[in-house]
Amino acid sequence: MELLINNLGHGFAVALTVNNILFCLLGCLIGTAIGVLPGIGPVATISLLLPITFGQPATTAIIMLAGIYYGAQYGGSTTAILLNLPGEVSSVVTTLEGYKMARNGRAGAALTIAALGSFFAGTCATILVAASGPLLTSVALSFGPADYFSLMLLGLIISAVLAQGSVLKSIGMVVLGVALGLVGTDVQTGQQRFTFGVPELSDGVGFVSLAMGMFGIAEIILNLERPEQRSVLAAKVGSLFLTKEEFRRAVPSVLRGTLVGSMLGILPGGGAALSSFASYMMERKMSRGRHEFGNGAIEGVAGPESANNAASQTSFIPLLTLGIPANAVMALMVGALIIQGIQPGPRMVEAQPDLFWGLIASMWIGNLMLLVINLPMIGMWVKLLQVPYKYLYPSILVFCAIGVYSISNNVFDVYQTVLFGFVGYIFSKLKMEPAPLLIGFVLGPMMEEHLRRAMLLSRGDVMVFVERPISASMLAIGAVAMIAMMLPSLRKGKDKALAE
Amino acid sequence: MKINTKDLLSGIILILFAVIGYWLNQDHALGTARRMGPGYMPMLTFVILVGIGGIVFLLALFSGPNPLENWTRGEILAVPAAIIAFFATYFIVAGLNIFQGNYYVLGSAIFVACLVLAIPPGWRALGLVHAGFSLFGLLLEQGGLMLALVGCIVVSSVADPDHRPKGVLGMIIFLCVLCWWVFIKELDIRVNVWPQFL
Repeated sequence: MELLINNLGHGFAVALTVNNILFCLLGCLIGTAIGVLPGIGPVATISLLLPITFGQPATTAIIMLAGIYYGAQYGGSTTAILLNLPGEVSSVVTTLEGYKMARNGRAGAALTIAALGSFFAGTCATILVAASGPLLTSVALSFGPADYFSLMLLGLIISAVLAQGSVLKSIGMVVLGVALGLVGTDVQTGQQRFTFGVPELSDGVGFVSLAMGMFGIAEIILNLERPEQRSVLAAKVGSLFLTKEEFRRAVPSVLRGTLVGSMLGILPGGGAALSSFASYMMERKMSRGRHEFGNGAIEGVAGPESANNAASQTSFIPLLTLGIPANAVMALMVGALIIQGIQPGPRMVEAQPDLFWGLIASMWIGNLMLLVINLPMIGMWVKLLQVPYKYLYPSILVFCAIGVYSISNNVFDVYQTVLFGFVGYIFSKLKMEPAPLLIGFVLGPMMEEHLRRAMLLSRGDVMVFVERPISASMLAIGAVAMIAMMLPSLRKGKDKALAE
Repeated sequence: MKINTKDLLSGIILILFAVIGYWLNQDHALGTARRMGPGYMPMLTFVILVGIGGIVFLLALFSGPNPLENWTRGEILAVPAAIIAFFATYFIVAGLNIFQGNYYVLGSAIFVACLVLAIPPGWRALGLVHAGFSLFGLLLEQGGLMLALVGCIVVSSVADPDHRPKGVLGMIIFLCVLCWWVFIKELDIRVNVWPQFL
C-alpha cells in the first residue's frame, strides 16, 4: 500500500511537468473534439497523430494518445444526448435515453451525469490499473515462451469472438492480420520474406499506413457516400444541476456501470463500445427506473457512460502488464511504443517506471481536465458540430498524407496507404471487420518469436503447450470461448446486444 | 440455393490470399518444428487461413441471401478500365524514363487509375479521395509541400458535389497556413516547402 502511494507520487511528479500537462490537455481536447464529431473515431485520429508524437519522449507521447482515447468517450456523449447522433460507437446506446431526456428538457442533467459518471468511473479505473499493474506483472514474469504464445492466442480468439459480425470471418481477419505481419525481414535468419524486392518492405508493412488506410481513408469515403445526417438541437441545454431524485437514481447505475466497464475493458476485444452496450442491457433489466426506459431514464445515461470510460482505461491493463493489446486502439499504442524503442511487456513497469506511473497519474489528471472541458464549455463543442463534413474531410486527408510521409520521409508510405484505403473499403463493404486484423498484425510477429522459442526449448514437442498449467488453462479458456460462440442461442444474444 | 454473396466473396479473398502466400512461401526454408526456418510460421498461417476461408465459403452457400448492392453499367466498366489504366500508365511512364526513383512510376499509375475509377458517379468518392492522396505523394518532393497540399485538396474536394470554388479556396489558404505552422514551424519535418524547379 505504502509502495503504491510512493509509486503514484512518482507518477504525479512525472505527469505534472509542464510539458506533460500540456500534452495531456492537448490529447483531451483533441479527444473531445473527435468524440463530438461523428465520422471520425479514436483509431483514425491516433494513427493520424502517431507520426507527430515521434519527436516527443515516449511518456509524453503515450500520455497524449491515451488522452485522445478516453477524451473521445466523454465527447461522444455530448452529440448523443443533444443531437441523437452518436459521436462514437461507444455512445450509441446513450442516444436511446439521453436524447429522450433532452427532449424532456433535461439535456443539462443528462450531460452532467454523463460527465460526473465518467469522472467517477475514470477515477476508480485509474486506481484499478495502478493496483493491478504490479500484481499482474509479477505473475507475468513467471511466464515462459509457451505461456506467452497461448496467452496471445487467447487474446486473438477473444478479440475475434467479441468483434461485431460473424465470428468466423473475424477469425479469418485475425489470421490475415498475422499473415500481413509476416512481411519483412525474418528476425532469426535475416531472410527477406514477401518483400518483392522492395527495400521499404524489409521493415514490414507500414503500421501507420495500414491503420490510416483502413480506418482513416476508408472511413472518409464511406462517410461521403452516406447522405449527411443532420438533426436539429433538441432543446436548450438547460440547467446543469441534477435534482435530488435524479441523483439518487443515478448513483447505483454509475456504480454498476463502473464495475461492468472495468471488467469488460480488461478483456481482449472488449473496450468502450462493448461495455456501454452491456451496461445498457443491465440497466434495462435491473435498475429501479427500468419501467421508464424509452421515456428518458437517467439510468440509461449514467450506466453506459460510466462503463465506457471505465473500460477505456482498464483496457490499458493488458497492454501495460502483458504487452498485449486488448483492442484496435491499444494495438496502435503498441505500435507507438515500438517506434519509440520500448518493447511492451511485463518488464515495462520495472524498466519504464516513468512511463507506467506517469501514464496512470495523467489519466486521473486528464479525467479532471475533461470534467472542466466538457461541462462549462459545452456550448463551444456544440458549435464545432456546425462545421460541415465537406470542410472536415480534406483537412483529415492532408493531415494523414503529411503524417504518413513524415514517418520515414518516403513517398512509398503514401502509396501504401492508398492501397490499404482500397482494401479497407472493400472489407467494410463485405462486412469484414478491420479491428481484429490490426490486432493480429501487431501480435503476429511476437507470436512467431514465442512459438519458435517455445518449440526450441521443448525440442520440437508440441505437448509443451498443454503440459504447462498456465498455457493449458489459456488454451482451455480460448476453446470454451470459441465453442460458446458457435452455440446459436449465445450468438443471437451477442448480435442483439451489438445491434441495438 | 440461398447464396450469401458478401460472405462468398470474403471466403474467396481469404483463400486467394492464402494460396498466393503459400506459393510465394515455397522459396523459404521450412526447417523443423524444433528449429523453425523462416518459412515455418508463414506455412502454418496460410494453411489455417485457407481452412477458414474454405469454411466461410462453404457456409456462405447456404446462409443467404445477402446480395451486394447493384452496380450500374458504368460502375462495372470502370473497374477493368481502371486496372488497364494502371498498367498502361505504369509502362508508358516507365518507358518515357523522365523521372528516376522515388516511385514516380508507381504513383502516377495509381493516380491515373484512381481518376479513371472516379468517372461513374458511384465510385466518385472512392476514386477521387485516393487520387488526391496519391497526387500528394507525386507532387511532394519536387513540387514542395504547398503545391502538394493544393493538389490534394482540389482533387479530393471534387468528391463532394456540395463544394463551391470559393469554399475550396478558403480551405486551401487555411490548411496551407495551418500545415505550415504545425509541420514546418513546430515539428520541423524534413520536406521542401516550395517547388524545386522555380
